[in-house]
Amino acid sequence: MTQLRRLFLAPAGVIMGVLFLVPLAIMLAYSFLTRGAYGGVTAEVTGDNYQRVFDPLYAAILLRTFVMAGTATLGCLVLGFPLALFISRAGPRKNLYLQLVILPFWTSFLIRTYAWMFLLRDTGLINSALLAAGLVHQPLPLLYNEGAVFVGLVYGYLPFVVLPLYATLERLDKNLLEAAADLGARPWVTLTRVMIPLCAPGFRAGALLVFIPCLGAYLTPDLLGGSKTVMVGNVIQNQFTTARDWPFGSAVSLLLMAIVMVLLMLLIRRGGEKLV
Amino acid sequence: MTRRTLFLMGIAGAAGCSRGAVRRLNVFNWSSYVAPNTIPDFEKEFGARVRYAVYESNEEMLARVMSGNSGWDVVFPTNYFIEPMRETGLLAELDHHRLPNLGQLDGPFQSPAWDPGLQWGVPYMWNATGIAYNKKLVPALTAWADLWSPALSGHMTMLDDPVDVFAACLKKLGLRANTRDTGELRRAQHEAIVQKPLLRAYLNAEVRDQLVSGDVLAAQLWSTTAQQAIDASPQIDFVYPREGFAVYPDIAVILRESPRKELAHQLLNYLLRPEVAAAIVVAARTATANGGARAFLPEAIRNNKTLYPSVEVMARAEWSQAATPEIQRLRDRLWTEVKSS
Amino acid sequence: MKRGLGLYAVAAYAFLHLPLLVLAVFSFNSSRFTIWQGWSLAWYRAALQDGQLGEAAWNSLLIAVASTVLSTVVGTLCAYGLWKRDSKLLSGSLYLSLVTPEIVTGISLLVFFQWIFRFLHVQLGMHTVILAHIAFSLSYVVIVVMARLRTFDASLEEAALDLGATEWQAFRRVTLPVLAPGIAAAALLAFTTSFDDYVITSMVAGVDSETLPMVVYAMARRGANPVLNAISTLIVAVLGSLIVLSERLRES
Repeated sequence: MTQLRRLFLAPAGVIMGVLFLVPLAIMLAYSFLTRGAYGGVTAEVTGDNYQRVFDPLYAAILLRTFVMAGTATLGCLVLGFPLALFISRAGPRKNLYLQLVILPFWTSFLIRTYAWMFLLRDTGLINSALLAAGLVHQPLPLLYNEGAVFVGLVYGYLPFVVLPLYATLERLDKNLLEAAADLGARPWVTLTRVMIPLCAPGFRAGALLVFIPCLGAYLTPDLLGGSKTVMVGNVIQNQFTTARDWPFGSAVSLLLMAIVMVLLMLLIRRGGEKLV
Repeated sequence: MTRRTLFLMGIAGAAGCSRGAVRRLNVFNWSSYVAPNTIPDFEKEFGARVRYAVYESNEEMLARVMSGNSGWDVVFPTNYFIEPMRETGLLAELDHHRLPNLGQLDGPFQSPAWDPGLQWGVPYMWNATGIAYNKKLVPALTAWADLWSPALSGHMTMLDDPVDVFAACLKKLGLRANTRDTGELRRAQHEAIVQKPLLRAYLNAEVRDQLVSGDVLAAQLWSTTAQQAIDASPQIDFVYPREGFAVYPDIAVILRESPRKELAHQLLNYLLRPEVAAAIVVAARTATANGGARAFLPEAIRNNKTLYPSVEVMARAEWSQAATPEIQRLRDRLWTEVKSS
Repeated sequence: MKRGLGLYAVAAYAFLHLPLLVLAVFSFNSSRFTIWQGWSLAWYRAALQDGQLGEAAWNSLLIAVASTVLSTVVGTLCAYGLWKRDSKLLSGSLYLSLVTPEIVTGISLLVFFQWIFRFLHVQLGMHTVILAHIAFSLSYVVIVVMARLRTFDASLEEAALDLGATEWQAFRRVTLPVLAPGIAAAALLAFTTSFDDYVITSMVAGVDSETLPMVVYAMARRGANPVLNAISTLIVAVLGSLIVLSERLRES
């Protein structure tokens, strides 16, 4: 038994070891080295890079990233819950409605981000429509700001909250809701005092599934945020391309990963359940 | 029957193999910097297959090439990168015996300050950086300081290039773009940080389409790209700011890692042909370092004030120079801070 | 409340689907500006005739197929192995890789490849992209197959063993067929993720490995472009049909 199992696990083990753990270890090493004059890495050991990460400039970016990810998560949860509710009550067409939510997500994330560039530009559809309707006289600056990034993130990750919320709603004991109604609670009260608290695990799972990817978001702020919305992901990418400062970039990357791991551990411990 | 079939298959295979021995060359250049037939004609004449890819900034190119193992044979850095690339051992020394057309270069480029013996690269085309703007802006823009105007907020861009952005800031402050003074560089950075909230984005040649479509009203831009925009829309105009501006030649270099230096030299020599250079100028709307090409240029291009500004305008120009490693490192760090602010 | 919910759902679905529909509609616009001027297939013709685009699409396909096959095989075996008895290290690494931001994965692989290539005289290229895609797809495959395994009745395998089958035979003849839909779903997930990937691919791609997302990104950076609309619509249509088809097959 163990023979076969070891054989089965070996290739995955090798791949994870060589292509995931070793690269991270190298990055850890780099994060303590110094940048060469024009880029590259020299063998000088230093803790400077980590010190620099806690500079007010980069701390501000981390904070901004958290706020952005947090608001996007909130937006997804608020917009996703009613949709999940609708689907769970939809009777025979449930599956179809669920598929309609998931389908856009399965197509390209990059293209879906571009779609918002197309809509929000000064000469894009939304502005053209507003101008044609005479509602504005100048195109509104809808693109290249935090609002655009927010919309892009919510649009990209909405399906991630609908699924767990739907799953939780399906498992909900309908008797509890009936009991609340029997006790005289109006639908709104049942919703807020009974249903939503019971869906806590779904909310937690959904929040996790959105918040963590948003923390590391790179494409969305890059394409929709212009120069003004810099999130941690953009800083990291910049260090490894134009700035050619691999040690500093490694330090920021590892810090981001540490934050993600801490968050995960906190959330899993609170939830007390396995996520998958 | 079987033997005959095998024999024929063998011949077919051999023929295919020899065709498969086509010479490859990997060329990495700025976007929109050749004529449509430049590379195909080279391929035909020299029996080569060229993989031609483009980049938008020196930094993007350098990030790929720095490893010394990138797979590229010929790249086109701006002149101030020649020294750093040479220092880090990225460049192959040129063999002048394989470059008989070197004599075609314009006077000043025969023995330039950054490479007096023309050992490391062949000057290709040159650009200046100015301001491209939409004519509906009144009054017309004339100075770098105009790009700090709140009226343009959200509708203007600067180049995604630390050297260009800091050069504009330095000129706005009345200083030299090639300064070696760290204090002056920091003052320039301060200007850039002040300007950033007013900008839509930092974009290189990518902004051209947005200028043409009217999404962007003013952009710090290279003369080449600006001329391309002007060709696409009569609404666009270009100005060389009165505080002064920087001028950059781009240099064709062969990377030391290249296993195809012979063919690379042939490409460089081919690009030095006056007709080839002239065709690139006409198609890409750029200024050439090739003196011999001038005879082949149409009147309209020779007198184009964007591409070949007048003597008085050129008096305000400052040719770019390589920076010391300390300045380079400081500039990279200051730029990161600007982008992250 | 039911009517309110219904109306809300309409709005929500519109939000989810309109952007792509708008892209598609304007890919048929004969004008390159956002004012409707009549139907035209010009942009599609331009897209399909573009040699660079064709090469990028071919690369993307090759990479996606290669990485999907390999990661599905390795991932399925791994999931089965972990199901039998967990390995904290392996499953920990897999989960960690799942939550690692794409940019960090891409960069760590770039750093790794550049470091190792100093000794091997190899360059970035198709092989590095395929390896990178396998690395990040693996955890997806394992998760999906594991989920399927959890609903699998282990006693079926035990019965087979009691009847004299070897472990391998039990796995191949009993477990695998039951797992097949889960494996197919995992493969589809791996394929679409690989085909669409930009961030990781852009970091580890070489001279000869430009992919479709890289071309799309470069065009998107330049601003809106009707040819890009055409390309986008084609990609979405192809991927969308693939997904719908697989769902139909799964249900039947």
